[in-house]
Amino acid sequence: MRQSFRFIGRSTPRMDGVAKVTGREIYASDIYLPDMLYARVLKSPYPHARVKHIDVSGAERLGAVVVTYRDVPDVVYCPRLVSTPEATYKDWRVLTGKPLYVGDPIAAVAAESEELAQRALEAIEVEFEVLEPSFDPLESMRPGKPLLHERIRYMGEEVEVENNIACTMEIEQGDVERGFEEADVVLEREYRTNRRYHCQLEPKTAVVRPEPGGGVTIWTTTQSIHNTRLLIHEIFGIPVGKINVVKTALGGSFGSSIQTNIVVPIAVALALKARKPVRLAYTREEDLHEHCAYQMIFRLKLGARRDGRLTAGSLEAILDIGAHQIQAYPLLGCLVGWWVSLYKLPNLRYVGKAVYTNKVPSCAMRGYGNPQITWAVESLMDELAEELGLDPLEFKLLNHVGLGDLFWGQGPTVKSIIKSSGVEELVRRGAKLIGWDKRPKPGAQRGRYRRGIGFGRGFHTSSAGAPVPGTVVDYTGAMLKVNEDGTLDYITAMMDCGGGTLTAHAKIIAEEIGVPLECVNIVRADTQTTLYDVCTHASRGVYAGGAAALQVAREVKRKLLELAARVLDAYPHALKIRPDEKRGQGVIYVEGVEGREITIGELASMARHKNWGTIAAVASVRQGSCPPHFTAYFVEVEVDTETGKVRPVRVVAGADVGRVINPKLAEGQIHGGFAMGWSMALLEDTPYDPRSGDLLNKGFITDYKIPTAGDLPSLEDFQVFFVETEEPTGPFGAKGLGEGALNPVAGAIANAIYNAIGVRFYELPITPDKILKALKGGERR
Amino acid sequence: MSLWINRIDTHILPINFQYHAPETLEEALKLLAEYGDEAKILSGGTDLLVKMKQRLIEPRHIISLRNLTELRGISEVEGGIHIGAATKLREIERSQIIAERLPLLHEAVKAIGSIQIRNMGTIGGNLCNASPAADSAVALMTLGAELHAQSIEGERIIPIEDFFKGPGVTALKPVELLTAIRIPPPPENYGWAFMKIGRTSLDIATVNAAVLLTLRGGRIDLCRIALGAVAPTPVRAVRAEEHLRGREPTPELIQEASELVVEDISPITDVRGTAEYRVEASKALVRDALKLSIERAGGGGR
Amino acid sequence: MKIRFKLNGREIEAEVEPNTLLLNLLREHLHLTGAKYGCGIGECGACTVLLDGEPILSCLTLAVEVDGREVTTIEGLARDGELHPLQRAFLEEGAVQCGFCTPGMILTAKALLDENPNPSEDEIREYLKGNLCRCTGYVNIVKAVKRAAEEMRG
Repeated sequence: MRQSFRFIGRSTPRMDGVAKVTGREIYASDIYLPDMLYARVLKSPYPHARVKHIDVSGAERLGAVVVTYRDVPDVVYCPRLVSTPEATYKDWRVLTGKPLYVGDPIAAVAAESEELAQRALEAIEVEFEVLEPSFDPLESMRPGKPLLHERIRYMGEEVEVENNIACTMEIEQGDVERGFEEADVVLEREYRTNRRYHCQLEPKTAVVRPEPGGGVTIWTTTQSIHNTRLLIHEIFGIPVGKINVVKTALGGSFGSSIQTNIVVPIAVALALKARKPVRLAYTREEDLHEHCAYQMIFRLKLGARRDGRLTAGSLEAILDIGAHQIQAYPLLGCLVGWWVSLYKLPNLRYVGKAVYTNKVPSCAMRGYGNPQITWAVESLMDELAEELGLDPLEFKLLNHVGLGDLFWGQGPTVKSIIKSSGVEELVRRGAKLIGWDKRPKPGAQRGRYRRGIGFGRGFHTSSAGAPVPGTVVDYTGAMLKVNEDGTLDYITAMMDCGGGTLTAHAKIIAEEIGVPLECVNIVRADTQTTLYDVCTHASRGVYAGGAAALQVAREVKRKLLELAARVLDAYPHALKIRPDEKRGQGVIYVEGVEGREITIGELASMARHKNWGTIAAVASVRQGSCPPHFTAYFVEVEVDTETGKVRPVRVVAGADVGRVINPKLAEGQIHGGFAMGWSMALLEDTPYDPRSGDLLNKGFITDYKIPTAGDLPSLEDFQVFFVETEEPTGPFGAKGLGEGALNPVAGAIANAIYNAIGVRFYELPITPDKILKALKGGERR
Repeated sequence: MSLWINRIDTHILPINFQYHAPETLEEALKLLAEYGDEAKILSGGTDLLVKMKQRLIEPRHIISLRNLTELRGISEVEGGIHIGAATKLREIERSQIIAERLPLLHEAVKAIGSIQIRNMGTIGGNLCNASPAADSAVALMTLGAELHAQSIEGERIIPIEDFFKGPGVTALKPVELLTAIRIPPPPENYGWAFMKIGRTSLDIATVNAAVLLTLRGGRIDLCRIALGAVAPTPVRAVRAEEHLRGREPTPELIQEASELVVEDISPITDVRGTAEYRVEASKALVRDALKLSIERAGGGGR
Repeated sequence: MKIRFKLNGREIEAEVEPNTLLLNLLREHLHLTGAKYGCGIGECGACTVLLDGEPILSCLTLAVEVDGREVTTIEGLARDGELHPLQRAFLEEGAVQCGFCTPGMILTAKALLDENPNPSEDEIREYLKGNLCRCTGYVNIVKAVKRAAEEMRG
């Protein structure tokens, strides 16, 4: 056992908290610059068309600066730079003359006020040749259907697209047919997920200022300032050093800004042309036309023996990716990874296809396909258990991928061995807390209000680290320097999407060195002054980013002790550092020798006066694995069989996130994950109008509902617990949490609904309408 | 094809209009007489500004009621309860008079939007917006409210039944201003209920319903049922009402009445719910509302 | 059009157009970016400010309509650098994640506690339902409001 910690494991307020509660925090959408122009984007009114003629003279007469698809660099790119070129297909342009969905940007204007920009936008005249759209992936794949993209780019070459299939992946292990033959029970079901929208509170924004030397400064909603910089370099050819992307706070993201949002290159194009700062802030309705989650169709088949052992599984997945690829190929890999890392399948077959449709492009959304496949797997495992006459908990525990098992994490190129797992305890403790033994028999209840308890378990990787390079970029840079008063500047490119990532880093640094937490100053940095960080995604902030923080802290501590040893006339290894709250900094002392001590500030000042130089460290850290963090949800619901409404009654949520760094914020991840999962299961979708090809809600969140404070369980009915493990590769034993907090929720809710009313649903969201229909059908049977 | 995608910018109000804030009712009516069709009344703005942002309407003149204190307030008058049309929804929600005399209206108003919306929105605005789903409308329909409309020509009284003409359309002439809502004193010992189904707790109704009834000698006497979001306007479920009148409120009767609701509604399928769902939900809401109303009227105890 | 109103305790004057929205006046002209644009149509509550002490949506309010009235934004809540108990409670309870909903949420909560110093959990949830949050599931927000209420009651 380690000694007890000073900061790790204790709840501390987030370090950007004061700025946030006083309204002083600056988000990208809060940036207004002198002499700035306001931009608006001309979007395609058709789901599939070709621009025959565009006349922008009306807009220019109003004094607006205009760019169209003809004015932007002829570069085909992919806006997401997390995976390597081997795993990347490119099919994007900054603006397009062949729009592929309603909302696809064709041209953009910038003017002195937003009102003028809007008027200029309305003055642009466009003539379209309307092409046949396709809104359904199965439809889209049919031979002879018009292609969205005829050719796309891969590794610098053009490749042809067949039947609108963007990319595919097939994997087979063992002998699947024999595996199913060995099974006593085989179940096969088709599942359809919803097309959700991130609904992050801050719509996508870019503010771009052209700089005198031909460079640009960019403030934008992004999860990765460095990838934004590299993409702008790729598209516009501006030297990387002249592109500076500045960190700002991010008003939520949930994966929607892993890729560089389209507002960035458009604003750059306008700013370069206007030679003035340009602000392009999307409205909510534009934001709803910018990104959404992947909608998936699964054909899932599992076989098991009477003794409860799974013998084989097959999964066919069709991903409706919308009009473009935002690295859909890596997703096909992750999807199989999520699937096979839930339960051990001795024989398996996977076919994944990503298909273009004339809809808003899909991108990662918290869990990157994991919530979707976990819903399907957890539902089918529940069914299988019932067929086998087994308790779903025991059946799942028997087959789960756990300690010592091979874990596919982020897909077939990222494999590692699981070194920490609290799964069994999560399940046992959760079952006890919810009263699993007392749950009703499925469908046995009569009467209007029926209650049921459902269980879902899951995991997510912490980062995309691996022992080999693979096809995912995953490393983080950090710098730490000691200031002359004993405070420390911590400089990282890593973004905090709201989870408290950087506060966790500060705690890791304070803990390791032994300084008061307030001494760690998180610098509002930019791409010019930071080392590369790939992105705040994949639940990697604490595990991978925190590892970089830990490494620089160790290095700084080593240097501090070395210098202090000179001053205190002692040996470095005999020195200790303690945070001295009264003096507001760390004190280096010789253990057991009274009076032999120096504050870090005194030491740093001395280093200055004596010209020893700055005490600092730099590191760029790659994690050698991406250990799973585990979660288990037990949810009790109540179904009103007359209105079809489902009410949350009770939630018990357990998580193994390794060592917990900041309990209250960690709990907050679970609370938020549940809320998102609740509405994934029951509410959220972005259906299209098949006639206009537009979203039925037209982009208004009046008709994209997320839960309010009034829709979720009361405080005493929502219980969160942690099963602490020590992940040997994690900083202070920590793993990730953000995505595991969501992944099993929909599955648990679906199982709870089944438990209450005896009906299974194979399509999300499970709306009151579907519930009533199913109940009616059931009564007839 | 999307006709609106390049016309909407909800950051701003991309419409130019003249703003008027008359100091007296007379002045307001004169402005209305002058601008008629080209003018819109601003009384809260939570619907009007949304419609303007969505470019559904582009008025050249906005006449704000903010200075017309005479259009605000709740009072008991001869012939019932008077509510100024420009009274904020929050004020109605907080009113002692309403809570005690018209709890049905109190509940319906509380169901409208959020605290913010109710701090801004007014009862007159909620009615004149003429949403088929308006929560206040179904309540006022069962309460038999009368709407006072004024123009420079004078005043006329429109029974609420005749007020709604279709989605967004009312019986008001362009020169007329809704000035007050008058609610006759409710009958003694009446039972009532307001019920609403939305996708979340903050939603436009997928279906809403209000019931007001009295019992006499154990039988249903007066009976009014209104439903919203199931027809182009809020509607009375007349067939169900007739079926109930003069009868003893047994569970079977309530069930029969709820089935009859379908005769008076014509729901559509939209992004908030399917027509089939609205039918089923209407029946369920009416059943619930009837049961609760009967209980409140001192009957049943079931 | 010239308007005069009290903003965070100070009388101010501003020149606005009839179609200027209060939200844009605050953010672009008065440099108070605490109130956020989240949807522009009154669904999310991120633009909430207090008008004469009551929470309203500044994205659906004409700037001319606040003439002669009193507006409080999140920037006006802390007094002399001292955080309001709600602000402290939001910090302590982990009620802030991305923080984009926080200014509106805190202002709405302030109005609640001003009119009801001892709200039940249901009352808190009911009052806050016009302020959407995508990060927290509202749990720690509700806890923070309860905690602040306790503290303010003394």
